[in-house]
Amino acid sequence: MYGLHAIAVHNGWAMALAGALIVFSGLVVLSFAISQLHKILIFLEKKPVHVDRDQETSDVEPQEDKPWLSLPKQFPADIKEVARLYKPLVEELGETFYLSQLYEMSKKNGFPHPHITLTAFRESKILIPDGDGVFTWNPPTENYDNENVEG
Amino acid sequence: MELFYQFLSNTGYYLADYRNVIMIVVGSLFLYLGTAKHYEPLLLIPIGFGILVGNVPFFKGFGLGIYESNSVLHYLYFGVVTGLYPSIVFLGLGAMTDFSSLLARPTLMLLGAAAQMGIFFTLLGALALGFLPKEAASIAIIGGADGPTSIFLTAKLAPHLIGPIAIAAYSYMALIPVIQPPIMRLLTTREDRLIRMRELREVSKKERVIFPALAVLLCCFLAPASIPLLGMFFFGNFLKECGVTERLAQTARTAIIDTATILLGLTVGASTQGDVFLTPKSVGIFLLGAVAFSIATSSGVIFAKIMNLFLKEKINPLLGAAGVSAVPGSAREVHLVGQSEDPENYLLMHAMACNSSGVIGSAICAGILWSFMVGL
Repeated sequence: MYGLHAIAVHNGWAMALAGALIVFSGLVVLSFAISQLHKILIFLEKKPVHVDRDQETSDVEPQEDKPWLSLPKQFPADIKEVARLYKPLVEELGETFYLSQLYEMSKKNGFPHPHITLTAFRESKILIPDGDGVFTWNPPTENYDNENVEG
Repeated sequence: MELFYQFLSNTGYYLADYRNVIMIVVGSLFLYLGTAKHYEPLLLIPIGFGILVGNVPFFKGFGLGIYESNSVLHYLYFGVVTGLYPSIVFLGLGAMTDFSSLLARPTLMLLGAAAQMGIFFTLLGALALGFLPKEAASIAIIGGADGPTSIFLTAKLAPHLIGPIAIAAYSYMALIPVIQPPIMRLLTTREDRLIRMRELREVSKKERVIFPALAVLLCCFLAPASIPLLGMFFFGNFLKECGVTERLAQTARTAIIDTATILLGLTVGASTQGDVFLTPKSVGIFLLGAVAFSIATSSGVIFAKIMNLFLKEKINPLLGAAGVSAVPGSAREVHLVGQSEDPENYLLMHAMACNSSGVIGSAICAGILWSFMVGL
């Protein structure tokens, strides 16, 4: 038996269609699950200190999504200057933090191109990976500390 | 003198026929491609040498051939026909695989799914050519471009075809640098090939540890017949990522997978005895294998282009070609084709994401096909 008749007799169309749909749906579900994984982990790992602070402020007004930093109109080109602007965010996050937390916070506060900036920070060793996806802040030294003291 | 004639009549020179000679030439070609051209040497050399060993003619009944129940080769072949070696190879593969790029960009997993379409198109083609359903399913899995998976499924469904299917699967895997680039270029424009991919985010260790446990449950609940492959695969990956079993992971990705690969390659090669292997069916399997592999590559690329119609951030369609599970050959080829257009375009990590999802996809397909064939 050959040709389309053979396919039909052996239930080939149904097997091919069902097989393709099953493998697609399986990988779509897996893909969705892993796309949510890091978000779930970040949610579960939020430090209790932050939770408390959020609870305290939540009674007054929900501040979370509002920008709380004023940024200069002309954003500096120098990476050290940019790092100075990011410092309040890092202080808010604590000694160690996830990159996504810093990214979200910088986005909320209207920092331009946070993804590129964070990549530049990593390349300049201002953001140091501390394992487990956690980072620490290593501020650039030149002129930076003095400005901080003044500020 | 009679003793001498009797001895001569039992030698390979006397017993050889043209089919043995053809297979010895094929085996020698495999050895040449592996040794001189470096085409997948870890696979082609054991198989090529196995073909030489399996095609030395011998006097039947001595317990020498792989198909004789009391021979040493037959005992070694046990690991193939039971699906034992492919499972062990998957354990080692899992202990080698880094899923970080896939975890960082999960949407690329869809390209691994799309590339499996070659399997189902080939299933239809094989049925149309007159193969029985179990044979057709075993041939179709060549489209996954995954040697161990092809051998595993064939061992379960059509053990008499293990030789040709394994040789076809591994041949096409070795010929990736020849087969895939023309298809990729044919189906993409220069603008497509120049698309750069966003840098992947950092993936935490916890994500990498949780992933194999989560994936084994999701995949094997869907297709329980893929447990022997995916169970071992994700177990190997868990050993690698959990951080407390590095010694076991190290053994799995070195000594264990190497031993299984040697025995698998040698015995699969030895199973290609000319009189058993050189049949019209084998020719059909080789042709369908090429079709399967080409459709798999094409469907990955075309699906990536379809995804680009809906995505704000375009993906490089070349990545679709890495959705077949030939790790890391197809990922490397995608990267090279991308770099031939733009030397600063680094697609390797993204291609590895598609590649590893292709491994998962083809193992799920094997499970699905196996369960479809139960009762036939």
